[in-house]
Amino acid sequence: MRLDLSKIKEECRRRGVTLSELLERAGVSRNAFYSLARRDFLMPRSLRSVAAELHLTPSAILVDEEALLAGMRELQQRVDGIIARNPDCDRDNARHTLLLLREEPVERLRRALRRARA
Amino acid sequence: MPGPEYFSDREIGFLRALVTEEVDFMIVGLAGAALQGAPVVTQGIDLWFRDLTDPGIKRALRKVAGAWVPSIGLNPPMFAGEGVTLFDIVISMHGLGAFEEEIGHALTIRLEGVPVRVLSLERIITSKRATNREKDQLVLPVLEDVQRIIASDSGSGIDGGDDQARSSDSGGR
Repeated sequence: MRLDLSKIKEECRRRGVTLSELLERAGVSRNAFYSLARRDFLMPRSLRSVAAELHLTPSAILVDEEALLAGMRELQQRVDGIIARNPDCDRDNARHTLLLLREEPVERLRRALRRARA
Repeated sequence: MPGPEYFSDREIGFLRALVTEEVDFMIVGLAGAALQGAPVVTQGIDLWFRDLTDPGIKRALRKVAGAWVPSIGLNPPMFAGEGVTLFDIVISMHGLGAFEEEIGHALTIRLEGVPVRVLSLERIITSKRATNREKDQLVLPVLEDVQRIIASDSGSGIDGGDDQARSSDSGGR
């Protein structure tokens, strides 16, 4: 995984800023930026090695926090909608039910059995 | 150290054997509700059979090294053996019709590829209301919430189900 310099420059053009202006706003020096742009791999070697042993891409073993946050925001919106339509409904029940419905049925059952023995 | 896995290949194997032997049964009670997304806990899995004398039940038990324990006194019949201890036999379901009638309210949910009939949440709630033990009263508000949540959220579906969610109940747990 490496930096796509042409994509960055194209995006700068589209937004009407120069690369220098972008770097200044981002607080990144030109030296640091071009040092990154010259590297064939931005991922640490250790990360790539672990992923390779698992026959996965490095990104597959990273947590995408933005996606997680977006997912939770979407869940909250769905819970809000349910509560708006059913004011007597318990918010926690709505949240937990929606989370459980994301799982396979057999996993839902395992959770129910595990919690009874906790 | 990982804890014991609940509902593993052994239990799936028993359900698969019952299906292979063409035994008519369905999962009822809180296990059925959990399969449909209810955030509940349950000690075991209640199975309601059309005919407890169906020889397919004992054949399925033999396939998983289990055994049939007949009813003794007030104790209902039970299963014995490592792969079947989580399963309980339900003899009757309060507030519901006969098995033949209630199977029409069941949905099919695949558990590790095994298609299993599960009483719908609506009928599970009906049964819990009829049974009305203290533990039923405690769990009913949760089950009723889940029914409303699924009905009012277009994105909610019973994944793994061959049928769309309908509702039902069991009197067991």
